[in-house]
Amino acid sequence: MAKFKKSGSSSGPTINTSSLPDIVFMLLFFFMVATTTKEVDPLVRIKNAEGVGVTDLTPFKQRSEIDFVYLGEPIQGDKDLFDKGVAVQYDGILHPNGIHHIGQWKLEKFSSKPADFTAPKENVITCFKADEHVPMGIIFQARDILQDLEFYSIAYAAQEMGNNIEYNIREQ
Amino acid sequence: MLESKRNKEGTPEINAGSMADIAFLLLIFFLVTTTMDQDTAYLRQIPRKVETTQQQTQVEEKNIYKIAINSRQVIQARDSIIKPEEIGTLSSRIKHFYLVNRDRKTNRNIDYPYYAFGSVELYQNNLETQINRLEALENQEVIDENTQRRIEQAYDAIAQWRKKLEMAEIYTKNSGKREMPEIAFEAHIRLESFLDTDYSAYIAVQSEIEKAITELRDEEAMMLFGDTYSRMNTLVQQRAAEDSPEIRMYRERMELIETLFPLKLIEVKPTR
Repeated sequence: MAKFKKSGSSSGPTINTSSLPDIVFMLLFFFMVATTTKEVDPLVRIKNAEGVGVTDLTPFKQRSEIDFVYLGEPIQGDKDLFDKGVAVQYDGILHPNGIHHIGQWKLEKFSSKPADFTAPKENVITCFKADEHVPMGIIFQARDILQDLEFYSIAYAAQEMGNNIEYNIREQ
Repeated sequence: MLESKRNKEGTPEINAGSMADIAFLLLIFFLVTTTMDQDTAYLRQIPRKVETTQQQTQVEEKNIYKIAINSRQVIQARDSIIKPEEIGTLSSRIKHFYLVNRDRKTNRNIDYPYYAFGSVELYQNNLETQINRLEALENQEVIDENTQRRIEQAYDAIAQWRKKLEMAEIYTKNSGKREMPEIAFEAHIRLESFLDTDYSAYIAVQSEIEKAITELRDEEAMMLFGDTYSRMNTLVQQRAAEDSPEIRMYRERMELIETLFPLKLIEVKPTR
């Protein structure tokens, strides 16, 4: 008890915080390098599909040669309002026409690219970011529309599953 | 000693106590506005629309590796049923499909695609034949529409054989083998799905296909060039704008590997 009091009453040595800014800056730089900016806020719930040997899309994003379409259950609102319960998000909006809007959206996107953008139509990738339970029928509908408009490059978004070799797919 | 004295007299020290606060603020800003996960995907091409009146010839059964995924995510690959828990076995099956008849000239397995064997001499011969044909065509006195078309065809053929010849030269130089095995042109993987097949199951199959092809290409590249195909691919992707001799060499090598193990994938539109 006596000892306790003693240490409490005397002002102990202060911690030197002069290196704190350095530590925080280090953390800051780490996050700046290791992360990428969010492009859009998600309006649909997406649990990524997993696979191995996926291609990193960063170089295409840097050259803005890629457009993302998000498919999944809407986070807000009734999912039954949408065809088969799958809402389709283009940039910031959930379009009521669902997947049928993809053609018009792609054309608008392509014509609004900057003037120094030289990549031909068929090299502009359309990337489908779909929830794992999205039925493939919808994506094939989109493929048909894109084929008619000559946007031939597509991508199926998937997350690298690394060392976990088990696919998380169950018979239904 | 001098410095400390001057400090005491004039220039006041900047108070760096708030530095940590500023840095924390920035850090939190970046934490909120950015995401950790990278965007990754499988790149695929939609086939072009072709209009022909010609009757299409049926591709032989042995050249097709058919994979079908039903709405319960059960997979049928050729004649075997694969449960969703066993998707991992698909890649070795696909590799098998590619490799069965490679290096086999006789005693081939009739259920799998055959290989053709090209060589520098053969391609040189073909090239010369085409050049002679072109000369003969161009020396004709009357050049009508029909001849014009055949001249164009000859030009295409020449370009094609030149490409093949270059590849065969690289192959022979690096492998020491005289003959380059080439899988049947029609050999392909046919991926069928149902309207309500899950995206994740479809992706799992895509993943297995990608894995099989990458492994085949990596092994071949390792044998020929002592380097993996994946590494060459990332390097070329990163320096896509560059046109140095080194990058050109990698491009040529990759082209050769892609010809030896082509990824021909047909994704069939589901109807039910």
